[in-house]
Amino acid sequence: MAVLIAPSVILLLLTNAYPIVYAAFQSVHDGSLINAGDFVGLDNFARVLSGEAFWKAAGFTLVFTITGVFGSWLAGLGIALVLQQKVPARGLIKTLLLLPWVVPVVVSSTSWNWLLSTDSSPIPTLFRSLGLGEVRFLSDPFLAQVTVCLFIVWLNFPFMMLMMSAALTSVDESVYEAAKIDGASPRQQFMYMTLPIIAKPTYISWVLMTIFCVNEFPAIYLLTHGGPVGSTSTLVVLAYRTVFQNFQTGPGVAIAFIMTIALATVATFLFRQIRKSRVE
Amino acid sequence: MNNNSSLVSNVSRRGFLSLAGAAALTASLSACAAGGGSSASSGTLKFWDMPWGTSVYATEAEKLAKSFTGAGNVKDVSYQQVLWNGFNETYSSAIASKTGPAVSTGGGFQAFQFAAQGAVEYADKLIESFKSNGLYDDFLPNVLDAMKTPQGSVAVPWAVDIQTLWYRKSVLEAADVAAPTTWTEFIEAGKKIAAKGYYAWGISGGSGNFGPMAILSLMINNGGGLFNDGGDLDIVTDRNTETSEFVIEAVKAGLTDPGAVSLKDDDLVTQWTNKKIGMGFYYVGLDEAIGDNDVVVMDPLKGPHGDTGTIQYVNNIMMYKNTPSQEASEAFVTHYLQNMKVLWEKKLVSQLPALKSIAGASSFTGSQSNVAIVNKWQPIAKTLATKGTQSSAKLAAIDGGQAMADFCQTLLGGKTDAKSALTKLESDIKAVVSS
Amino acid sequence: MTTTQLNRKLGSAPIRRNLDPADRGKWKRFWLLIAIAAVALVPIAGTFVLSLRGNNGTGDFTLENFVHVIVDTQVVAWLLNSLQVTLATVVVSVLVAAPAGYVLSRGRSRLVEGYSLLLFVIQSLPVITSVIPLFILFSGMGLADNLIGITVLYVGSSMSVATWMMASYMDGIPGSLEEASWIDGASVFGSFWHIVLRNSLPGILSTAIFTFLMAWNDYLVASIFLRSSGTFTLPIGVQTFFQQHSTDWGSVMAVAVIMMLPPALVFATMNKYFSVGGVAGSLAGR
Repeated sequence: MAVLIAPSVILLLLTNAYPIVYAAFQSVHDGSLINAGDFVGLDNFARVLSGEAFWKAAGFTLVFTITGVFGSWLAGLGIALVLQQKVPARGLIKTLLLLPWVVPVVVSSTSWNWLLSTDSSPIPTLFRSLGLGEVRFLSDPFLAQVTVCLFIVWLNFPFMMLMMSAALTSVDESVYEAAKIDGASPRQQFMYMTLPIIAKPTYISWVLMTIFCVNEFPAIYLLTHGGPVGSTSTLVVLAYRTVFQNFQTGPGVAIAFIMTIALATVATFLFRQIRKSRVE
Repeated sequence: MNNNSSLVSNVSRRGFLSLAGAAALTASLSACAAGGGSSASSGTLKFWDMPWGTSVYATEAEKLAKSFTGAGNVKDVSYQQVLWNGFNETYSSAIASKTGPAVSTGGGFQAFQFAAQGAVEYADKLIESFKSNGLYDDFLPNVLDAMKTPQGSVAVPWAVDIQTLWYRKSVLEAADVAAPTTWTEFIEAGKKIAAKGYYAWGISGGSGNFGPMAILSLMINNGGGLFNDGGDLDIVTDRNTETSEFVIEAVKAGLTDPGAVSLKDDDLVTQWTNKKIGMGFYYVGLDEAIGDNDVVVMDPLKGPHGDTGTIQYVNNIMMYKNTPSQEASEAFVTHYLQNMKVLWEKKLVSQLPALKSIAGASSFTGSQSNVAIVNKWQPIAKTLATKGTQSSAKLAAIDGGQAMADFCQTLLGGKTDAKSALTKLESDIKAVVSS
Repeated sequence: MTTTQLNRKLGSAPIRRNLDPADRGKWKRFWLLIAIAAVALVPIAGTFVLSLRGNNGTGDFTLENFVHVIVDTQVVAWLLNSLQVTLATVVVSVLVAAPAGYVLSRGRSRLVEGYSLLLFVIQSLPVITSVIPLFILFSGMGLADNLIGITVLYVGSSMSVATWMMASYMDGIPGSLEEASWIDGASVFGSFWHIVLRNSLPGILSTAIFTFLMAWNDYLVASIFLRSSGTFTLPIGVQTFFQQHSTDWGSVMAVAVIMMLPPALVFATMNKYFSVGGVAGSLAGR
């Protein structure tokens, strides 16, 4: 047995243990990517937490994650429910709908950019022709936030669709047959039969998606670079910009650390709750 | 199963511990290696370059680098392009792991940054040697000085990235306005151009550096800058406030594209190409970049108080401590400067050459705009350190940093007042450079 | 927007799969899904259209962009790099995750439980923090700027999910099978190899598809680890078309199409073997 799990443990240590130790070291020093620098204790953390940018990014991370998790879940569940029933060409449709998740984010961010960014892009042109004026989705801080949230939902609803489809297929047909004989309405069937059965996979998928969204980097960075005026910077993007654009390794790593600790705590707590709650 | 799993737990626990030990050992070993001597392989000199132009530029620059015949124990040169995208982490992590180049071009203040971190070899000896081969007197005015720090010169200039105002003649004719000569005229002309359905002032505030550069150019134009004469940060000044108000006024008057905030630099070039822009800042060679003689360089504008000026970035070649041979590094840089003329002859670089002999060559003076830039704009250009006189590592974090980009996007959003935008800029920059 | 419509739809649609042909409902659902797919696929369709358009803006259908990127740029080399890295990642991931998943599935000790939780915590760490130290570590081992190093990282970063996926499939394989083989004198390893693996082919395929996607689509790790154009994978290679002055959209979109075809094809052909649903089950524990 030990032999079987050893390669996995070795890899895990190699790709995670050293970096975590090193990052912890960086977060309490005032060095750069090149020099270790001097020990400064929790100074970096204090500086980060007293800055406005951190809280702004933390706020947007929350909004982005909540939209990402529930938006993609609702869309994914809705489509999965429709796919449960008789639909012509189900396989083809499923494959088509999976594409946003399958296509590399480098590709999709490029095409979203092309669709939205300039005056001659298709979407602004469409808005103009509909008489809605000059709408630039990536220029207005609020609209850029909306766009980024839509983008993450678009990227992840197929994953949720897969998760929910798998959960729904485990629902036993005969249960519905019995319910129908008892005269339960479709809505009642959904509320009282389907929901409880898919509850557990749903919770798990929420936790997983929370992790994905909080850690999402390329989707945001390649679409908006965290702008305008930092409005679409989540904590990961802020950490990246702090380290690589402002060259403040210590504070940047501290941001990532605070985020990691918060996320790991929340995720582990939820995870334990789910494992404890025996939804049968 | 139970027996089994207790066996598993024992073995695994021990395995865990020994593995953790091994990982720690590896870590300490690699730390030692990183702290150890130079591991640059002798025989080959690594030269890293940036994409200063298209793929044709890369081919030509590689040829130029590889025509170096060697010196000391170095026999040949390897050429590698580093993408702009995340270039700083590329260099930083390479230097940290001793896999970096011996010589490189790079960001305008990269040499200052890496010199402060002890990775760059100062160029004073090399610059001294230029006095004997004629290179020393060939540099444009002020560019060598731009490399100086109290510890010495951090690099050698090779090109000057300078922001100048351009305009499209046919658009100004269509709007029936002459090229403006003052800020007031710029706004007036801009309104007329915008009325004709053009973007009077083409500017991009998205990724890239165009927007911040344009605004810095205007600050210097108005006798301001980010620093005071003593070289300390001093941003919320009357002159800078005036400049910010000017930008906000231009935005509110509809001179800029409503989407300017998120436009990328290449979107801006597309707008120039598609004849949508009347006026705007760009660097050398816009006419050549879009293959169009309808765009020309404007004369420098006079600010509200009669000042002129613009921003320039002196791009440079730096030498690193991690080299197979310092002698070879220096010989290579000399060779590069003496032979880089070809990059301008073939019109591959959109910057001023740092050498007068190239700037005065017929291949370069063929464009009226180039001549105007060399004669009218470069003499009044100042660096990011203005009004201070010495560059330093902190400028690397300001140039291309978050603070300037946010400031530019705030102004282009037009929903701010000058004072609060400047105040935020100052506190953002302070937060970065005080470390 | 679409979700609310869908939820309203739920109210009226009976959730069952019985045999009375609700044909009208069937086609209604079909068109609804097609409409959703059409909207969702606009960006992807745009990529195709642009890649097939001449750069002179005429909008004529042409393959010149593809010819250009294949003949004049290093796209073919990048494609081969991407394929090598991805396939190696898939093979190694399965080889590592399958036995680990087996231990997770069969092991009931606290340590195994703890390891499962550890995998979960590791999954939640941002790559950003670890990528620079890793680069320094790997440079010391001579694994930076090379395809082996990046393969190791991909295996490491896909490991949590891959292990859960394998574990969830093996949960479905009755333990009595291998117990019988132990009685016949097979070793733990032998019975795992002959009995368990043979029965978990769908799980292996799922894991393979997942790791394929992860490795093929990665941008962040590759952007830091790969420095010379000879080692670029496609997501990094395409960045070289974004020049300082202009973006050659035709070339970019042609490379984008080349980049998205393999995963799309893998999915279209192996879709029926793929399921991430098991992950939820495996995490929740039974």
